[in-house]
Amino acid sequence: MSQAPKEDGLTLDGLTKVLGGRVIIDNLNLVVKKGEMVSLLGPSGCGKTTTLRMIAGFLIPDKGDIYLDGKDVTTLGPEKRPSAMVFQNYALWPHMTVFNNVAYPLKVRKLAKPEIERRVHEALSLVNLMHHKDSRPGQISGGEQQRVALARALVQEPDILLLDEPLSNLDAKLRVKVREDIRDLQRRLGITTVIVTHDQDEALSISDRIAVMNSGRIEQFSTPQELYDRPETEYVANFIGSLNHIQGGYSQGQIVPGSEVVGIRPEDVIFSTTQELGSYPTTVELVVPRGHFCEVYLKRADVELRAFISSNVPAAGSIGFARISKALIYKDGKLVRVA
Amino acid sequence: MASDKTDVVTESFEVKKASKLSVLGFLMALPPMLLVLCFVGLPILIAFTFSLGFTAGPNRVVSIIGQEIHKKDHWWGTFAAYKDVFHDSRFPGDLRTTLLVTLIATTLVLSMALGIGIYQRMIGGRLASIMTTLTLVPLFVPVVIASWSIHTFYAGDGFMRTFLSHFGIDFPTLTSTSSAIVIGTIWTSLPFAILMVTSGLQSVPDALIETAQDAGAGFFRIIRTVLVPLALTPIVIAGTFTAIGIMGSFTIPYFLGPNQPTMLGVEISNFFGSYNRPQQSIVMAFIVFAAASGIALIYIWANVRSAKQSGRI
Repeated sequence: MSQAPKEDGLTLDGLTKVLGGRVIIDNLNLVVKKGEMVSLLGPSGCGKTTTLRMIAGFLIPDKGDIYLDGKDVTTLGPEKRPSAMVFQNYALWPHMTVFNNVAYPLKVRKLAKPEIERRVHEALSLVNLMHHKDSRPGQISGGEQQRVALARALVQEPDILLLDEPLSNLDAKLRVKVREDIRDLQRRLGITTVIVTHDQDEALSISDRIAVMNSGRIEQFSTPQELYDRPETEYVANFIGSLNHIQGGYSQGQIVPGSEVVGIRPEDVIFSTTQELGSYPTTVELVVPRGHFCEVYLKRADVELRAFISSNVPAAGSIGFARISKALIYKDGKLVRVA
Repeated sequence: MASDKTDVVTESFEVKKASKLSVLGFLMALPPMLLVLCFVGLPILIAFTFSLGFTAGPNRVVSIIGQEIHKKDHWWGTFAAYKDVFHDSRFPGDLRTTLLVTLIATTLVLSMALGIGIYQRMIGGRLASIMTTLTLVPLFVPVVIASWSIHTFYAGDGFMRTFLSHFGIDFPTLTSTSSAIVIGTIWTSLPFAILMVTSGLQSVPDALIETAQDAGAGFFRIIRTVLVPLALTPIVIAGTFTAIGIMGSFTIPYFLGPNQPTMLGVEISNFFGSYNRPQQSIVMAFIVFAAASGIALIYIWANVRSAKQSGRI
């Protein structure tokens, strides 16, 4: 066993988990600072929920250790860990009122009745649900149920809050609203939070840092901006945002023959009707409206590119000039340079 | 205006279509309803009028053959046959035995079903699966054969007494006692109760149990506050079905029970066949029916509760 980390927060040290003969988590290391909000982001089956369940104590890792505020909690059951989890489907007990759902963890801890009432009222006020305290979960909306689940987790005053795809059952508008609420609460309370999501937009908008997972490993653990601007692996570049993925080399703003992979964000393709330095003649092949911007398919002599253009959108068939303002060059899946 | 007309036409078409469908649905449901009304409802009604002293019409022949038949002395009938039964020295003992056996056997069946169901739900594994499978075996053994084997097992010269006498233990003879009826009814009722209770417990989502664990609840608190309340409807339904089944049972009390007092199922048969007192036997049947109706109310309450929880009503 390695030495316990001195700093507060969450430390995952060499976690490995095999389920059904398949390695689900493979030597995973992660350090979440106290008060930080970290997203585990990845496609289905990448091991993010398994990681979260190990942090919560529902699964015991086959190898590796879990430290919470410097204490080894690897073998502790979920009822003994200072963590609280919000499940994907909220998991509210339908036979209890909203009040009793939130009060449950406090009743388990055998707190005095006035103390329970005070803390439940506080938690419900925090999520603006005092008016529903006597309702049953079946009588309130999905978004409200989500907030009750959040209140039930927060009322425990956990050292770490774990959120398992908490917004995936909500419609698009409500999702944005609730994620802002969650972020606001997390900042106000300064609670260390790990959120599992497969929605990159969600991860990018609320996280301090994001761990992009692939096949049970963390591909990159960075801030949202760094992750987007400088994806360390080809996998991350493809997973986060849109990408023109081109086989070849890159020289002086042009694609040349080569064995590397060139990644170009569509917003880094600049189209103009006049020639600038580094721009080359281009034909507009197709224009697809995408709401507040258009996805424009361009054809140059060296390469076909997709560009996102929000103003002065050219018409399909028109001729202009396209310049690549930034290119990410990968070799063997790793970032070698940014041009 | 044109739009209004179109709306009216569409609406009337939909109303017509809905009424056609409702007629079709009623016609489809009619044959089984008629079958139940003619072959179950009507005989019950005729038997009830017979118990009140209506001895004419369909009750004429049985009134001529039967003994101690009371004829109605009011427009609504008479309670004379009911008085007969309540004044009969055997009846209170029979009723007490029936209710006691029903209560004890139902409690034991539900406890065993809950124990096995909870074990399978919370711990699982091979042993739980084997136990559940074994408890289903009685479903495939005819009641007569099971009764006979229980009879020989607990008889005065049966296996238990013979085997334990080798160790100097005088095991009591259970055959022809109410205890044997309880053992027999557990044998017959357990498989169905386990199927109902286990499926109810299995249908509680993992996340609801895990949330309770996450909130710090221990094993027994989770069972008490989450698992059992969420599976209460199937548990209550299993309990009511078991109780009604036991209350009206005949084969097991007939084979394994005492002569007197015995369960009402056997006594009804005695009154009808051996004593030739059909009116009193029907009165007893209606008393069992009234008791079963009380249990059925619990069944209805459980269903209403379930419908309310799922938002159906």
